[in-house]
Amino acid sequence: MRILRNILHGLAELMRELSDQNAYQRHLAEHGAAHSAEEWRRFSDERFRTKYQQVKCC
Amino acid sequence: MILLKRFALVAFWIAVSCGAAVCLGAIATSRGEHINSMWLVLAAVCSYLIGYRFYGKFIAARVMALNEERATPAERLENGHDYVVTNKWIVFGQHFAAIAGPGPLVGPVLAAQFGYLPGVLWIIIGAVFGGAVQDFVILFASVRRDGKSLGQIAREEVGKVGGIVALITVLLIMIILLAVVSLVVVNALAGSPWGTFTIAATMPIAVLMGLYLRYWRPGKVLECSALGFVLTVASVFGGQWIATSSLGPAFTLPAIALAIAIIVYGFLASALPVWLLLAPRGYLSTFVKLGVIVMLAIGILAVRPELQMPAFTRFVDGTGPVFAGKVFPFCFITIACGAVSGFHALISSGTTPKMLARETHAWPVGYGCMLLESFVAIMAIVAACVMDPGVYFAVNAPAGVVGKTAQTAVATISGWGFPVTADQMAAMARSVGESTLFSRTGGAPSFALGMAHIFAKGGGGDVVLGFWYHFAIMFEALFILTILDAGTRVGRFMLQDLLGQVWTPLGRTGWMPGVIGLSAAIVGAWGYFLIQGVRDPLGGVNSLWPLFGIANQLLAGIALSVATTILLKMHGPKFMWITSGPLAWLVVVTFSAGWQKIFSPLPALGFLAQANQLEDGLNAGKVTGAAVGQTQALIFNARLDAAVCGVFMVLVAVVLVDSLRLWYGILSGAREGDVVESPFVMSRLSGEEA
Repeated sequence: MRILRNILHGLAELMRELSDQNAYQRHLAEHGAAHSAEEWRRFSDERFRTKYQQVKCC
Repeated sequence: MILLKRFALVAFWIAVSCGAAVCLGAIATSRGEHINSMWLVLAAVCSYLIGYRFYGKFIAARVMALNEERATPAERLENGHDYVVTNKWIVFGQHFAAIAGPGPLVGPVLAAQFGYLPGVLWIIIGAVFGGAVQDFVILFASVRRDGKSLGQIAREEVGKVGGIVALITVLLIMIILLAVVSLVVVNALAGSPWGTFTIAATMPIAVLMGLYLRYWRPGKVLECSALGFVLTVASVFGGQWIATSSLGPAFTLPAIALAIAIIVYGFLASALPVWLLLAPRGYLSTFVKLGVIVMLAIGILAVRPELQMPAFTRFVDGTGPVFAGKVFPFCFITIACGAVSGFHALISSGTTPKMLARETHAWPVGYGCMLLESFVAIMAIVAACVMDPGVYFAVNAPAGVVGKTAQTAVATISGWGFPVTADQMAAMARSVGESTLFSRTGGAPSFALGMAHIFAKGGGGDVVLGFWYHFAIMFEALFILTILDAGTRVGRFMLQDLLGQVWTPLGRTGWMPGVIGLSAAIVGAWGYFLIQGVRDPLGGVNSLWPLFGIANQLLAGIALSVATTILLKMHGPKFMWITSGPLAWLVVVTFSAGWQKIFSPLPALGFLAQANQLEDGLNAGKVTGAAVGQTQALIFNARLDAAVCGVFMVLVAVVLVDSLRLWYGILSGAREGDVVESPFVMSRLSGEEA
């Protein structure tokens, strides 16, 4: 049961990481900011700028 | 107790080794009878386990001496953006999502024309001794150098020439890659209103997701992706309705119209704000990709289908209809991403090294992820080989080879010893909601057919076959288009990097004339090859996929040269064989494939021979009217392909010669062999943080 819970927890974490939601939380913590539409836009603009300069694999 | 545990462990590894030996033996010796796909799956899994536990660990412990206490760039340079200490399994998932593209799905399907055995052996052996080693060593090298890219490492370790050549090679490979993957989408959607509607619908869905995320529910990416997924599945159902409605003809497009639509899309995606189209599509595509791969693995394990394809077909002699060329060297360049892929070295020296919490995590992430990707390739070859071989060849052989009518196609394919009937093909096309399945080249439709059959056998039967077929097409097209839009953008950045050295304004990412002009240049470059592929009577895949495979493996050659240089500097010649072995193999394979593609006297294989044959026909007056212009274009394209292939070979030869000179210098004592690593800093991470 604990193993299953750990796997599900790991999967949920992976999804949050892949969806950049964890990165957003880190951004808020780093800047001491609260979540807002403006803050998300600021974060995502910078995030996407870096992310979409990396090659994607074949 | 400890002794008992040790005994159990030894017994386990003996069992795994025996399992690998028995399964590999069974698939290698089985002739004339169908074997179950489980033999392939077990042979692969047991080999991966042994490779990971023993070879991977040997490299980690003895060669790289990964140090748990050495702070990684993620810890030393943590900035909350690029450099972030991340959980091992999350980096694993991120890295896998980044390296898994359409390559391990399409390549093995195409290589199945040789039978299942050559592809399966190459996928397993290539991954364990080549691909995983390359990814692992480059990841390690980047971690020890502050997360630097392959180009930067090449420049520092090998020399300036290596760095610049690596950058140009990557740009050229990207152009060929984007052309070939877009051709796969075009061939899958041509004449298919169901598929075309489904894929067209993903564009407004992505824009809707972008607006949702930007203005309505900022930051709710998972919620937005779930909404996008529901809408995308709805579009698969909607596509069935559209196909049978009066709107059907509007979505029944010829290949050339689809190619133009994709070119326009690529340009818009490169020039539009990322948040509007690229980012939401990227999120959706990542989740769908991982979900489908897991579903396919479960499906194969649950259904355990029998392989209908023989171990070897007669086409190992080079006369295959899917692509020309003998099993050696063409099997080894057709399957790149599932065995050895140079592109992975770019990911291993990109985002991933900046996220590793511990050096030791490079082993599961670098070596382990490649094994998982290799397993995806095994699943793809299973999906292709569970089909009747006759059906496989009817789907994958271009009309230029088997004839344009159903009757000529089935007669030709049956004549090869793979019986298939027009009725059988018509019934299959009906069952998946298509008008025809003949000559749907590119690998995607046959993979979708195989996958749909596996899923349908798992539950629902023929009733759900059409849904699963189009779901699979949607899945492939979705993440191919993600590569297309992101790749076009990255290509534009690379071009800006290069041309910015010549004229500074071109290097500025915010200067709109430069952005638009260079986006158009990149789109124009891959779009040209795409149109060329669409007009090619052999379906385009015949020439473009081998070109891409050669280019990708040549990039692996550059990565392995860099890796060998690093190992030589670290240990002297002692461990050079680890990377120089696969390097030597790839050099032999790629250079012989490249040579044949350029200079083979057979028109079906050699670009120049093909151009000469067409020219002879033209000069002899055998071609008249409108066909003259088309033939002249084909002649030019064949010579262009030969030139591109030659340029790739020359570029990589330059890096190889540069590396060989350096190795000789170090081994003879004439040159210094100092390793350029970041200084050692003790890690301050606690066990929980890492």
